[in-house]
Amino acid sequence: MSQSLLEVRNLRTYLKAGARQVKAVDDISFNIPKAETFCLVGESGSGKSVSALSVIRLLPEGVATHPSGEIIFNDQDLLKLDDAGIRAVRGSQIAMIFQEPMTSLNPVLSIGEQITEALYAHRPDISDSEAEQRTIKALEQVQIAHAIRRFHDYPHQLSGGQRQRVMIAMALACEPQLLIADEPTTALDVTVQAEILRLMRQIQDDTGMSMLFITHDFGVVAQMAQWVGVMQQGQLVESGSCASVLHKPQHAYTQQLLAALPENLVKPKLHAAFEQKSPATPLLSIRDLKVWFPINKGLLRRTVDYVRAVDQVSLDIFPGQIVALVGESGCGKTTLGRAVLQLEPPTSGSIKFRDQELIGLSARTLRPLRQKMQIAFQDPQSSLNPRLLIETTLTEPMKVHGIGDSHEQRIELASELLESVQLNRDFLWRYPHEFSGGQRQRIGLARALALNPEFIVCDEITSALDVSVQAEILQLLLSLRQQRQLTLLFITHNIGVVEYLSDQTVVMYQGKIVEQGDTAQVCQQPQHPYTQKLLAAVPRLKIIL
Amino acid sequence: MIKTILGGESYAARVWRKTRNGVGVEVGLAWIGLLVFAAVFAPFLANSMPLLMSKDGIISAPVLHYLSIEDAWVLTTFFIALLVYRIKLKAGQRVALFLLSAIIAAVLVNVYVNPPKLVIYDDFRSAAYTEVDWRIMPPIPYAPTDYLRDLVSKGLEAPFETTGHLHLMGTEENGADVLSRMIHACRIALSIGLIASGIALFIGVIVGGLMGYFSGIADMLGMRLVEIFEDIPTLFLLLTFVAFFGRSLYMMMVIIGITGWSGYARYVRTEFLKLRKQDYVQAAVASGLPLSSILFRHMLPNGIAPLLVAVSFGIAGAILSEATLSFLGLGVVDAPSWGQMLDQAVKSSSFNWWMAVFPGGAIFMTVFAYNLIGEAFRDAIDPKLSDDSGTE
Repeated sequence: MSQSLLEVRNLRTYLKAGARQVKAVDDISFNIPKAETFCLVGESGSGKSVSALSVIRLLPEGVATHPSGEIIFNDQDLLKLDDAGIRAVRGSQIAMIFQEPMTSLNPVLSIGEQITEALYAHRPDISDSEAEQRTIKALEQVQIAHAIRRFHDYPHQLSGGQRQRVMIAMALACEPQLLIADEPTTALDVTVQAEILRLMRQIQDDTGMSMLFITHDFGVVAQMAQWVGVMQQGQLVESGSCASVLHKPQHAYTQQLLAALPENLVKPKLHAAFEQKSPATPLLSIRDLKVWFPINKGLLRRTVDYVRAVDQVSLDIFPGQIVALVGESGCGKTTLGRAVLQLEPPTSGSIKFRDQELIGLSARTLRPLRQKMQIAFQDPQSSLNPRLLIETTLTEPMKVHGIGDSHEQRIELASELLESVQLNRDFLWRYPHEFSGGQRQRIGLARALALNPEFIVCDEITSALDVSVQAEILQLLLSLRQQRQLTLLFITHNIGVVEYLSDQTVVMYQGKIVEQGDTAQVCQQPQHPYTQKLLAAVPRLKIIL
Repeated sequence: MIKTILGGESYAARVWRKTRNGVGVEVGLAWIGLLVFAAVFAPFLANSMPLLMSKDGIISAPVLHYLSIEDAWVLTTFFIALLVYRIKLKAGQRVALFLLSAIIAAVLVNVYVNPPKLVIYDDFRSAAYTEVDWRIMPPIPYAPTDYLRDLVSKGLEAPFETTGHLHLMGTEENGADVLSRMIHACRIALSIGLIASGIALFIGVIVGGLMGYFSGIADMLGMRLVEIFEDIPTLFLLLTFVAFFGRSLYMMMVIIGITGWSGYARYVRTEFLKLRKQDYVQAAVASGLPLSSILFRHMLPNGIAPLLVAVSFGIAGAILSEATLSFLGLGVVDAPSWGQMLDQAVKSSSFNWWMAVFPGGAIFMTVFAYNLIGEAFRDAIDPKLSDDSGTE
């Protein structure tokens, strides 16, 4: 190993939460050599962000304490520096970029002003023209086209990927020796993520800086890291070179995490036999569906144009199949899912459920059909009514649709539902805020199943979850599909999940379907250029353990 | 199983627990509690007649005999409220049971309570009531409209001025005891705040809820209606109505209520616009639940908290409106009210501090108390200030 730039020894960070003390980081040690990248990887709450924030001491004083540890950066212990000392290091020698590019830039200052401000702060003697030159150079370095012209642009004029580039430019302007990147690509689409990762590697080659890279995505780790540390509950359970950790994991937790990646999950055998019988009549048939949102302008709110969220989409879904709807954010996949269930009124087109036209039905005539089509949502925080007991959430729709003869019988049915999503019966008598994200998603599924539907739209139901929880939910979905003869429209942006779960794949781009077919065919021999680009951008880590 | 029970604190219980975290709110609640006690038991706290007396071996209770229909109804409703609070029921059932029993009580009281039409307070100081074996008098032995013609010659006495009969807060120009009037005025202060705000809340929730849920054209029409009502000056409308139809407490409540709902409608609309796109509301729609359930079970309880904060400030506003009107001499004539007492203080030829300080202080304290409760409630529902989040 070459000479270390940053050396963290026996670091502990305790956070005070009310009267309790949480051991957020519990005795971790690692080294970052010059010009190399160290990846901290782990699930949410494992303490990886707190570790990074401890390094540049950004945690609020009074809340965070360090009972032990040394952080040696260029032969000085950062934990022993006073406020002025740490400020001199922060920004100029160690820079940091964050996850959310939409909120980390100040919307009222132009991007040029924000970068020069960082320069002035660390080099008070710098001249105006030099600051501007260096800013433009930094913008060019992050490959923002026409950097001189973009200098006076405001954040709202840039896309998410461009904003993240500006954040990196801001971090690079002072030529730091260490860049801390906290999930810098998590909020971005995969194609943008691929570009940003490529850019960061290139900048590292050019400047020779080191990186502390935090992520939950093993695919990203495989692309970025020379060294990897796996965190679990504040402890570094395994660390070493990228190749050895990813391909010969020693610790059980690392093995478990790698096995939970959708590309490594073993497809159940029964599944193959099940998909053979594909009947001729589709369960759901969509023809020329359009969902356009008007853009109103002026005093009279006249409609000047439309946002074509879903544009001329035709799709057949056959009974018993899992159809994956893939696309990047803003491509209209969620709108399509909601339009199918008549949660979003379609502008024109036709949606037939077992030859029954859905568009134009009144709320009353639609009600019996609602029982057959359900939806499960992405965000575990907002998918359950916080004021209602789980029991009420599950039994109320049953009562409306006349399932179960008495309240007692419906409670019995609801407890069976909870068991079928592998939860405890007693959970009926709790409120949503008492559950973890994964548990809430299971309850959300139980609610969708409460009416014995034939068809469920799953809108990114695993996107907000950690990989191990995601793996459990995916396995649960497959077994439920088996037991209940379900047909699923599974909306996702995760190609790994698509390959594991689905029979058919539909790719959407800017409101239109660009490619559809058998999952194996679409994923292995993509025809449309967009699909090819999307698949090439996915960071994968296929490992046979 | 124990964890299940302990963990099952409902949202309402959590908010209430957090609201109680603080000294200010305890002061506010204590003051409102005192007002409620005074309003309910006013005839037993300040009255010219004995609570209980024994004459020639016969025990009688003149207070009960002279209890007015209103007094009887307030008392029974109070005990019904206590009873309903003790019974374990769902919130909605509680409200329904309470309202139903209150209405039944009103009917029964009207039928069965027949107090004497004419009350001559001087009689209670005559031999028929004084020469008895024993008697228990109320803590303040003067009724609010007892002008003490047989006792006081000049009216207007400062506190502790005369010997022989004690007036803790002095007497007003007609000779009536100020403290007694203060106690009996609690009823108007409390009822105008609660009923006027209740009317405003009812209209506001319905109009705002429909605007927020349906949005589009319903929202546009609703907002125009809100703007129209916001342009009506409440005080001048009240003055006009008083000029045309005479003075009535109930009319004041209704007018303050129907001009005050627009603010609540705006709150509910905003909350509903936000909530209708929430996943759990969409799930309720996708399950085919009826509109009433979506609006009142899935949306309203999640959007009501900011509204209740506004209501506590609204109650304070309604109390001030009544005080203003009474101060202008256009309030209720027969029953005492704090604003009317302030009016008396200003109109009398010399400045008598006890006439201004006590009712003015009471108005100040009540408005202050409701504001304290409103503030505490707002902090309690703000998740950013939540003590569970771990930051300070």
